[in-house]
Amino acid sequence: MLQVENLRAGYGASEVLVGASLHVKQGMIVALIGANGAGKTTTMRAISGMIKPTQGTVLLNGKAVQGMSASQIARLGLAHAPEGRKVFGPLSVEDNLLLGAYHRLPGFLGFHAMAAPDLEKIYNLFPRLRERRLQAAGTLSGGEQQMLAIGRALMADPKVILLDEPSMGLAPVIVQEVFGILRRLKEQGITLLLVEQFAKSALEVADYAYVMDHGRIAVEGTPAELHRNEKVIAAYLG
Amino acid sequence: MNSLIIAQMAVSGALMGLVYALIAYGFQLTFATSKSINFGQGELVMLSAFFSLTLLNLGAPYWLMIPGGLLFGVVMGLVVERACVRLTLEQKSEGWILLTIIFGLLGFSAAENIWGRDDRPFPSPISSDALHILGINVTPVEISVAIGVFAVMGVIELFKRKTLLGKAFEAVSADRDAAELMGISATHTIMLSYGLSGMVAAMAGILISPITTVGPTMASALILKAFSVAVVAGLDSGFGVVVIGILIGVLESLTSYYLGSGWRETPGLLLLILALAIRPNGVFGKVSIRKV
Repeated sequence: MLQVENLRAGYGASEVLVGASLHVKQGMIVALIGANGAGKTTTMRAISGMIKPTQGTVLLNGKAVQGMSASQIARLGLAHAPEGRKVFGPLSVEDNLLLGAYHRLPGFLGFHAMAAPDLEKIYNLFPRLRERRLQAAGTLSGGEQQMLAIGRALMADPKVILLDEPSMGLAPVIVQEVFGILRRLKEQGITLLLVEQFAKSALEVADYAYVMDHGRIAVEGTPAELHRNEKVIAAYLG
Repeated sequence: MNSLIIAQMAVSGALMGLVYALIAYGFQLTFATSKSINFGQGELVMLSAFFSLTLLNLGAPYWLMIPGGLLFGVVMGLVVERACVRLTLEQKSEGWILLTIIFGLLGFSAAENIWGRDDRPFPSPISSDALHILGINVTPVEISVAIGVFAVMGVIELFKRKTLLGKAFEAVSADRDAAELMGISATHTIMLSYGLSGMVAAMAGILISPITTVGPTMASALILKAFSVAVVAGLDSGFGVVVIGILIGVLESLTSYYLGSGWRETPGLLLLILALAIRPNGVFGKVSIRKV
């Protein structure tokens, strides 16, 4: 579904990614773990078009998308829930969710009725968002904002979701709640690339994982394989 | 008697103030999406007024001239975005400041060459015979200014709140990168904001011209006060520009009555200086709060 080959990208003169390759098959949750500054977020940003890769290919459902703008890639079925959640603070929770489905809804009127069944699904998954649907997204707690960011990505009905550090800045009990939701989404068959500092939790939900180090993939394998790898255990799972 | 004169001055000042507010609103539209504004906005008002006058002189009926003039404004707004703003924003430079000023200068010369330097009357089918309401003289033309200003701002605000496209506009204003990730093209949204801003400028020109006449220099007086209104009110509150616009309009009308017309610019400029010194985000501006 998502195939990344030999991706290079960076910011200005400083190159962060020096040839990263990874595959996300349909219906799989793939974790991307690694130390701070290893290039996990940059990988996601280069895949979704927030920064332009300098080299390499990104195939989304077989179509080369590297070099396209972020909005074009989003319209092709990639939903990126970015680091720091980036909800639209002044807009209501419901408007945030509607905007998640922006590219498949009519622009003027009738969009609300068309999105109603999908909104219902999101509200069933996140009852807290239903309670706060008319509240400005900026007034939500960190955990609620993370739920909203995930819900907004789901609203796009995407082929692949990139989820960057859902646990960032959240209390441990909320982090468990977020991972619980990821498990439920996994049962529903979503395709997800997950970047996470909490490598242990990430490996619990993932079908496959990549360990990133200095801008390239250092180790890859199923969670069981990584749990047998002593270097990985020492560095990330200890 | 005296209080009646004050009331009279206040009413006609407030109506002028609404036009300042409308032009300031045009600044807000583009600032919201792109953090840039068109410093040639006054010339856009003037060019649209001249264009509309030409339509009338060519025999177009008044009510058909309005959409024609507004369309001209939209096109000019898009020209400004394409020629003066887009490339500089892509390079993250502030070059749009200089380029939009140059656009204004070019527009000014073009108007002088095409339409001449003279101020010309702008015919309107709306009567300018004063009505007496509670002892105050108000002309239907003046009332049409108020209606026009609220109609245009009302339609745009409805668009922003009620349509998905409008919500996308707000999303780009709130977080451009995140909006892109939703499949919203920031470039198209910025084009839209410049188109709307041009339309607002054209509306201001069409509304004010029957009262002030049309001439190449009509912009300079308007634009300075529109700037004051935008800065004092802040660049993100449509309600704020209306309140501050009316306030500045009333103040300058009273100042010119009591101190002489040479002083009419002072209240607007004094408020501008005060606002920059005390509340740079504007009276109605949101003080940015960052949650870490």
